[in-house]
Amino acid sequence: MKVHVKNWHAIAQWRWDTGASDVDDDGEGDVCGICRVPYEGCCPSCKMPGDDCPLIWGECSHVFHMHCLLQWISTSASKQQCPMDRRPWVTAERKVDANAAR
Amino acid sequence: MIKIWSMKKNEDAAAKRRPKTSAAQIRVQKDLTELELSSTMKTHFPDPTDLLNFTLTITPDEGMYKGGAFVFSVNINTNYPHEPPKVKCTQTIYHPNVDLEGNVCLNILREDWKPVLNLNSVLVGLQYLFLEPNADDPLNKDAAEELRKNREQFIQNVKTSMRGGNMRGVQYDKVIVQ
Repeated sequence: MKVHVKNWHAIAQWRWDTGASDVDDDGEGDVCGICRVPYEGCCPSCKMPGDDCPLIWGECSHVFHMHCLLQWISTSASKQQCPMDRRPWVTAERKVDANAAR
Repeated sequence: MIKIWSMKKNEDAAAKRRPKTSAAQIRVQKDLTELELSSTMKTHFPDPTDLLNFTLTITPDEGMYKGGAFVFSVNINTNYPHEPPKVKCTQTIYHPNVDLEGNVCLNILREDWKPVLNLNSVLVGLQYLFLEPNADDPLNKDAAEELRKNREQFIQNVKTSMRGGNMRGVQYDKVIVQ
């Protein structure tokens, strides 16, 4: 049998490498704790996900949309603390090693 | 024949008229779908299209405030979740953590608010105030003093106030149900 491919569609999927296991128990990816939109979506003030609406990692291992976290840190009420654990927010150079954080 | 183009035009016009959904509205929408209301809490939306303003009625089924229905107004501003919801008791009640104007003293509504909290945290926190009134951080100093010094008298005062009684020149609202 001879097959002649007339056309084809490439499909790609991307995901931020947050160090968490690929998919949650509920089959959905993780969400930003501040806006509750998936990491792969974008913060409420952006229109397009991806490099223009990146994630930000803290030394404490917590991850948020960068814009969401910066908005929170800029308020005086935040006392510059991580919204999850109230430790002083220190942006990590790159993502904290998943094994070390656990 | 259906006039598709004119339909589309109408739709576009409607989209323009409709105010843009704010980040706060989107977040509140998510919070509301995740709300786990117990049988002792009820929300009411006076304007169903406005998710940012509603009332919450708490009817404790245990503790010294059992039998009462306490109505709070919840107002969420457009900075939510970066600012906590504004919660006020709409009645004059006798409670160490609620003053006579209805202001509520609950840590997560003030200094301990953080944007990863949601409406569920707030509602559970409010309900907890009626199960465990807290004398350490009072807004109504007389009530707190009474709770600390003479718990039995405090419970009597709560009962009197809930029936709509008058104590020390303060007229309390009747909040007893049935």
